[in-house]
Amino acid sequence: MNQPLSTITELESIHTDREPKSGAQLLLESIEAQGVDTVFGYPGGAIMPVYDVLPRTGLRHILCRHEQGCGMAAIGYARATGRTGTAFATSGPGATNFVTAIADAFLDSVPVVFVTGQVPTDLMGTDAFQEVDIFGITLPIVKHSYIARDPADLPGMVEEAYFIAAEGRPGPVLIDLPKDVANAVTTDRHKWRPYPKIKPATVRSSHISGAESMIRAARKPLFYIGGGIGQGDGVQEFRDLVERTGIPVVSTLKGLGSLPNDHPHYLGMLGMHGLKAANYAVQECDLLIVAGARFDDRATGKLDTFAPDARVIHVDVDRAEINKLRKADLYLDGSLKKNLAALTPGRADCGDWRELCHARRTQYEWDYQSAQDAVAPGIYAPKLLYDLSRKVPESAIITCDVGQHQMWVAQHCYFDDPRDHITSGGLGTMGFGLPAALGAKIGASHRTVITVSGDGSFMMNIQELATLFRYDVPVKIVLLDNSALGMVRQWQEVFFDKNFSEVNLDDNPDFARVAQAFQIEGFSIRTRDEVEAGIDRLLAAEGPILMHVKIDPNENVWPLVPPGRSNADMMER
Amino acid sequence: MTQLQRDRTFTSSGVSGTLKIVLHDVSGTLIRALGTIERRGYDYRDVHCTQRVDGDFDLLVHIEDVGGPRNLDTLCRQLERLYNVVSAEKVGRRKRAERA
Ligand SMILES: Cc1ncc(C[n+]2csc(CCOP(=O)(O)OP(=O)(O)O)c2C)c(N)n1
Ligand SMILES: [Mg+2]
Repeated sequence: MNQPLSTITELESIHTDREPKSGAQLLLESIEAQGVDTVFGYPGGAIMPVYDVLPRTGLRHILCRHEQGCGMAAIGYARATGRTGTAFATSGPGATNFVTAIADAFLDSVPVVFVTGQVPTDLMGTDAFQEVDIFGITLPIVKHSYIARDPADLPGMVEEAYFIAAEGRPGPVLIDLPKDVANAVTTDRHKWRPYPKIKPATVRSSHISGAESMIRAARKPLFYIGGGIGQGDGVQEFRDLVERTGIPVVSTLKGLGSLPNDHPHYLGMLGMHGLKAANYAVQECDLLIVAGARFDDRATGKLDTFAPDARVIHVDVDRAEINKLRKADLYLDGSLKKNLAALTPGRADCGDWRELCHARRTQYEWDYQSAQDAVAPGIYAPKLLYDLSRKVPESAIITCDVGQHQMWVAQHCYFDDPRDHITSGGLGTMGFGLPAALGAKIGASHRTVITVSGDGSFMMNIQELATLFRYDVPVKIVLLDNSALGMVRQWQEVFFDKNFSEVNLDDNPDFARVAQAFQIEGFSIRTRDEVEAGIDRLLAAEGPILMHVKIDPNENVWPLVPPGRSNADMMER
Repeated sequence: MTQLQRDRTFTSSGVSGTLKIVLHDVSGTLIRALGTIERRGYDYRDVHCTQRVDGDFDLLVHIEDVGGPRNLDTLCRQLERLYNVVSAEKVGRRKRAERA
């Protein structure tokens, strides 16, 4: 699944070929040597030498219609495939258009190598045309970054960049390439100083046995899992551990799919829009086994009321996450996959607790029919999403945007693999869904890829409809149109005394016709009796298609934990 | 003031100390370390940086937190996560003082 990583000794490899080559050539050859076959990019002045060489390589270039689209497509590609994504942009505005995507990849730990053109070295620092210090701008949001100063550095630099992006906790790496360096021809290949810090992850056996005793001693143990399970390639190890121990599980937004929704030990998503069974379990557990999660405030609510009676075992590849927000009684750092496989505490002695959790799960199960009956007569989005994700013949990849519809996807769609749920969790980036779906479908062409968007978010990268058409990428778009920035509207309703300010979008365009203008099939549905046929049409389409769904502007996401409050304080309709 | 705004009152925790950080000589090496210190909620008061014979840099920096729940061990791990940082550790004892 993961592309083979370079090993440390490979990083030391000296590139032996001595033909005269330009920086642009060396860059692209080195990228290809990393096993990359697809690049999402947008050309411009400073990166023209690279685009000049590009047609002579084996790389497939996807021209998106905005650099933010390129960056997010590369993220979608990386998240769907487990491989490192690659994106190109020019200097100045091209580079600044990357910034949101870089931040998104940083906060969601996605391996992407971003390459930006830069003005020639002698003009750097002179406020030259299209010069911005993208290296400086992105320092807080990259895992690592480079300014290439010598073409002979590029083979080693590129190799290291891909290694760093994917190693440990993945993340974005930036290579800023001045135009003169891209043009300069060299016969040299510099030896790149190998990165000295990376040690093979070992499992600390004393910590493992300590964790096993804590699990054996616990009467109300609970797994709290996050995106690290999928990203650390630990899904199978985690599932085996759940079977071995019989311990109930709650998940963050990014952990969804690590256990299938219908797994008997799964209690659902925790946190601000979590399920009651999940949030109550966290409040009452006596041992919290945190795996690949980081106590994000959207998951924990008011931190000092989170799992107040629990001891904590924290399993994470990133040592900096341990004790950052909640002190761990014991931690397992290094490879999450190996640590989970090494844990063999036997079956947990927690029969009563398991039963209580299961009973709650049944008690608080969604009842779509009565929920739908209780709301306004139009289309009820949660039920539509539930029906949609169960109608997909084989499981689909679902990307989404940010807002109420994003939470409905998390609450109501079926996932049995964390790679199938591609959402902007850390940054919460509106405009993410469409380009991420494009990238996901290009990377995983055999899969059904659906994006669920909102009428606000969709307009932020709507230009990528042109990319779907250009490359005939059959992404299925579900546009939930509540004529509002719904999530903000909901907060204004609940926390700001219904003082609605700048959230009304009732002058939206006719989205089905917009799709048609991009030569994409588009249609609208407005009533409940149109839902089934609409879903069938969406799923049957061979090319890209947009289903525009009019929904009630006043519908809200429930339950809701007010910010800064305990997860026990869930508000309901 | 709404309930939301009331819940966001801010308190400083008064963590201070001196860190010794060893840095590789890569683009932006000093700024990466100092920027991380600032972004993670600390001010730096005193910065000494010298290059060693092996080309790496020794950075000694005295820092004070600017509020919120802060922990110097976490900061050291966050610094060590940077690819230009060889090591980061506290030197001397950490003082916990109430700030005026
Ligand atoms: C780029 C960006 N700008 C602003 C926000 C703040 N924000 C979060 S949700 C939201 C409303 C989203 O509206 P829509 O896409 O229609 O989704 P809905 O909540 O209506 O389902 C806004 C403005 C954001 N997350 N991202
Ligand atoms: Mg909306």
